[in-house]
Amino acid sequence: MARTPSTDPPADLLAPVQGEVSWFCCGTAWGPCSSTGRGACGTCNSGSLQHAWPNTSDACWAITRPDACGVSLSRRTCGYQHRTTSLCGGGTVVTAIADCGPQTDLFCGERSCCGSTCAGNRLIDLTPAAYSRIASLSTGLRPCEISTV
Amino acid sequence: MHEIAAPQPYVIALFLVWAALTKLLSRQAREQAGRTALARLTGPARAVPALMLVGLAELAVAAALLLPPARPVEGAAAVALSTGFLAYLGYAHRVAPTSTCGCLGGHGRPVDRRAFARAGLLLAASVAALWAGPRPLTPPLAALGAAEVVALLALSAELDRHWLVPLRRLLVRLRRPLAAPPPRDVPLETSLRLLYRSPAYCSAAAHLTSDVREVWDEDDVRFVVYAARDRTAVFGVPLGGTDPADVRVALVEGAPLAPPSASRT
Amino acid sequence: MASRRDLLKSALLGAGAGVVAATALGSLGPEAAFAAEPRLGVDPGAADPDFAEGRIRSVKDDTLLVLGSNLVFHTIRVVGGTSLWKLGPVGLDQARPGDGLYARGVRMPDGMLAAESVWLNIVNVKGHVKNITREKVHLDHKGQDIVCHVVAGTSVAIHAGGPASGDLSVLRVGQHVQVLGAWRPDTNEVDIATVFSPH
Repeated sequence: MARTPSTDPPADLLAPVQGEVSWFCCGTAWGPCSSTGRGACGTCNSGSLQHAWPNTSDACWAITRPDACGVSLSRRTCGYQHRTTSLCGGGTVVTAIADCGPQTDLFCGERSCCGSTCAGNRLIDLTPAAYSRIASLSTGLRPCEISTV
Repeated sequence: MHEIAAPQPYVIALFLVWAALTKLLSRQAREQAGRTALARLTGPARAVPALMLVGLAELAVAAALLLPPARPVEGAAAVALSTGFLAYLGYAHRVAPTSTCGCLGGHGRPVDRRAFARAGLLLAASVAALWAGPRPLTPPLAALGAAEVVALLALSAELDRHWLVPLRRLLVRLRRPLAAPPPRDVPLETSLRLLYRSPAYCSAAAHLTSDVREVWDEDDVRFVVYAARDRTAVFGVPLGGTDPADVRVALVEGAPLAPPSASRT
Repeated sequence: MASRRDLLKSALLGAGAGVVAATALGSLGPEAAFAAEPRLGVDPGAADPDFAEGRIRSVKDDTLLVLGSNLVFHTIRVVGGTSLWKLGPVGLDQARPGDGLYARGVRMPDGMLAAESVWLNIVNVKGHVKNITREKVHLDHKGQDIVCHVVAGTSVAIHAGGPASGDLSVLRVGQHVQVLGAWRPDTNEVDIATVFSPH
């Protein structure tokens, strides 16, 4: 649970990283999600295959601070594509960046497991359309692997 | 009005000095300048200089209010500044509702009713300060000023972590509002969370095409049914169990699916 | 129903932790669409045709008419293999006009979505616990107040990666949590299914 601050600059995402994936809603959607709007990129929509990434800009990095959990993530801007693979079942989805998030630092050290496979720290948030391709929305949080396309 | 005016310059100056020092000296306030509505107003690149400029203006008005002689123009400057604050909050609320105020740094919450109330109170004090003159500060007037300061501090969400959060934590510890007797039955979510962590679920997850369709309890086992394309996946989760390895699974062909239902009978 | 459950139960007990092999069945109905692999080839960033989002306008027989947030209408058919979620698995009778909805399924040639899963009013919000009052957790979600109701016998908390527990008294004012739950339409209130409490 202890935080391991890292002062290193974000390294490039050369190899797949494992972490937790959750989902968030955006766009002019119903419910409490309406406050999200169309996200930092102005394109976010719950029904589209998109995701939020913790390092889309300096301002975004200042909010999410994955380095507070000892995680370095590469700078990727709006529209960049990542592949998210569920560590439970192997379902996979390719999505484009549409928002800044999740707030990795607020969940430092949290782990999700599936069988004997575990992954820690929240590194990516998918839209409902994307998340439901690899897991049920009612799971809320799953371990995953993230790679570039 | 003349009497009420007497403590106002001190109240306003105290608050402005606090706000100015936060803007000018706090590294956190500068780091978070990009998240404020000011960044939306001036552009992200000019957010920090703009923040500094506002801080200097606040310091100048505070100095004018505190240093003799007392002149109406000082009250007018405070009114102008307070009106500017209110207009800025209105802009932030309307144009950048998810951005923070940046007024006193240190918290990430957007502009809310308390921020408006604080700016309104400051404006009211500034208007009263127009009548301020070289009058002695009697104990009742000093008490009025102190009450205003307390009200301003209470309306400052930036200080919540110092008093409101600990107070609420104390009340929760004393009242235990979420302490409830353990439920008679194991909540379904408890079984499902154990299921999600199980090797059995992991092995079958790729086959599942639906969420939970049916649940029933029998012989200390909770049976959880999913659709798995043209088959049915049934999991057995031990009621009261904690080891994910104890969850069992079978994919069954030809089992008719019940209508979608939560029935546990 | 009992015989069907007996069949499933005996399959589970007989199969141990194994997985029974299956053969594909042919059919022309919406159910048969589920036998196919999910459609691939949707451009990342684009709308997923096999997914629908919106609010229910009407429920007629097994069909939900949904108005999407982008003002596109979806016709969603609840078929044999469809699951419905509303704070847990429910029947179609729990789907009401005004409910928010996400649905995943297979888009049929006539535009209808044959649903595999329908989630009603499901929300997944992260925020600071502002206050805790009697059976309520007050959440600050991006400056928006959300009142999260603890539903006895249903709501659970997962604290620091431990097992899910019906005891939510582990939650603290000021901490950051994720709440998965069911929105009460047209309010800022949510019934809690699971609270994820990291620390």
